[in-house]
Amino acid sequence: MSEKTGLAPSKSPPIRLTRETVNAGFKKRVDALSGQHTDACYQCGNCSSGCPLAQEMDILPNRILRLAQLGQSDDIINSCSIWICASCFQCTVRCPKGIDIQAVMDALRQIAMDEGIDHFGPDQISPELAASVPQPGLVGVYRKLAT
Amino acid sequence: MAKIAYYPGCALNERSSHLDRSARDATVKLGFELDELDTWTCCGAVPPVSEERVMNLVAPSRILKDVRDSGRDILITICDFCYNTLKRTNFSIKSDEIIRKRVNAFLADDTPERDYLEKDDSPWEDYAGEVKVIHLMEYLRDELGYDKITESLKRSLKGLKIAPYYGCVMLRPQNEIQLDDPENPAIIEDFITALDAQPVKYPYRTECCGSYLSVSSPDASTRLCYRILTSARNNGADAIVVSCPLCFYNLDSRQKAISEAYPDFTPLPIFYFTQLLSVALGVEFGRQGFEKHYVDVTPVLDKIASSTGKGDSE
Repeated sequence: MSEKTGLAPSKSPPIRLTRETVNAGFKKRVDALSGQHTDACYQCGNCSSGCPLAQEMDILPNRILRLAQLGQSDDIINSCSIWICASCFQCTVRCPKGIDIQAVMDALRQIAMDEGIDHFGPDQISPELAASVPQPGLVGVYRKLAT
Repeated sequence: MAKIAYYPGCALNERSSHLDRSARDATVKLGFELDELDTWTCCGAVPPVSEERVMNLVAPSRILKDVRDSGRDILITICDFCYNTLKRTNFSIKSDEIIRKRVNAFLADDTPERDYLEKDDSPWEDYAGEVKVIHLMEYLRDELGYDKITESLKRSLKGLKIAPYYGCVMLRPQNEIQLDDPENPAIIEDFITALDAQPVKYPYRTECCGSYLSVSSPDASTRLCYRILTSARNNGADAIVVSCPLCFYNLDSRQKAISEAYPDFTPLPIFYFTQLLSVALGVEFGRQGFEKHYVDVTPVLDKIASSTGKGDSE
C-alpha cells in the first residue's frame, strides 16, 4: 500500500521486459481461468477511475491488466491490489471493451493462491469480529482471499 | 394465503434475524407467505468465476434443484449475496452446457444419500435452470406491484427522506442479474416512493461499502462507508435503506470506527427495506429488532409516530 493513505502512487516502478517473461504463458493462464481476453484492454482507465478502492491499491486495475498482458506475474501476485479488490463489479459494468475485470482479478487471486500466497487466514480475525460479522462476509472473505 | 418458496440463507437465519422476521411480517400483511424450504444449505455467498471451480456451483444448484423437484418455479431470496449467487448459478447452468452436465453429475452422486428427505422415489432428472430466482423487492415490484403496498399503508412515512443504498451484488453483473440499470437504478427509489417517503438522490448509492473487506481490511471499509454516509447525510437523508446483511453491518456497526476516525461525523440510522415496509404496514416497532442496530433509530421512529399520531400503540 502507498505510504500516504488515500493516494495510489503516481507511477508504477519500472519493469524489465524479456521475451521469456512475456511469452511464459501467464497471460494465457489468466485468460483461460477468467474466460476473458485481456488483450482487449486498451488502457482507457475507466476501471481505475470508477474503482471505489483504487485509493487503497498499489497498482491500479488498468495497470494490472497491462502487466498481465506483458506477463509480469511477479509484480501482480505480490501486489496488494488483488487482495484489496472487493469484487464489486463496478469495473466490469463500466469496461467499454466488455472485459469482466472482476473475473480477471479472481483469476489472479487464484494464481497467487496456487503459488502459495494466502492473504487472510483464520488466525487473523479477531474473536469479536468473527462473532458479529454476518456470515456472507466470513464465507466471502475466506473463499476469495484464502486457499 | 399464497405461499412462495423462500430461501433465507445463513445470515437471515441467525445474525440478521431481524431482516427475516420483518420480511415475514410484512409479506403476511401484503397477503402472501414466505415458505421457507424444508432443507437448505449455505449457497456459498460468492459465486466462482473461473471454469475450474464448478464444484462451488454444486451447493446453490442443489438448493435450486430441490425447489424444482418440489414442484415450484419461483424462489424468493432477500440477502443480496444469496440472490447474486443463486441467480448467477442458474445463469451458468442455463447458458453453459458443460457446466450444466458437470454440476448435474455431482448432483446425481448425491441421490443415494438423500434418505434424509424421506421420500425420494422420483426419477432422476437433470436440473436445467428451471427455477426463477427473484429478490423480494423484485417480487414486490413485478408480481405484487408497488401500488398494492401504497394501498395497504397503515402508518405515514410522509416527509421522511430516505437514501437508497444498492451496494454491489444486487445489481451487478448486469447481464446476469438484470434487476435494474446498474448505473442508474430506480427499484429502491420507487419502493421508497410507494411507502410515501421521499427518496434522496446522492452519488454513492451504487458504490461498494467494502463488502467482506470489513473482515480483512477494516480500515478500507471504514473509509468507503464514511464517504457513502456523509454523502447521504449532506444530501438531506434522515436514514439509509439497504437490503443486504453485509451492507447493513458495514454501514451500521462501522459507524463506531468512523466516529473515532472522523470527529466531524454525525451518525445516520440504517434500516432494512423490510423494516420500513413492515413499520409502514402497521407492524409494531418492537418486532423490528431495532435493538440489534448500533445507530439509534428513534429519531426516525419519532418522526413516523408524530406524523401518524399513533406510534407504537397499534
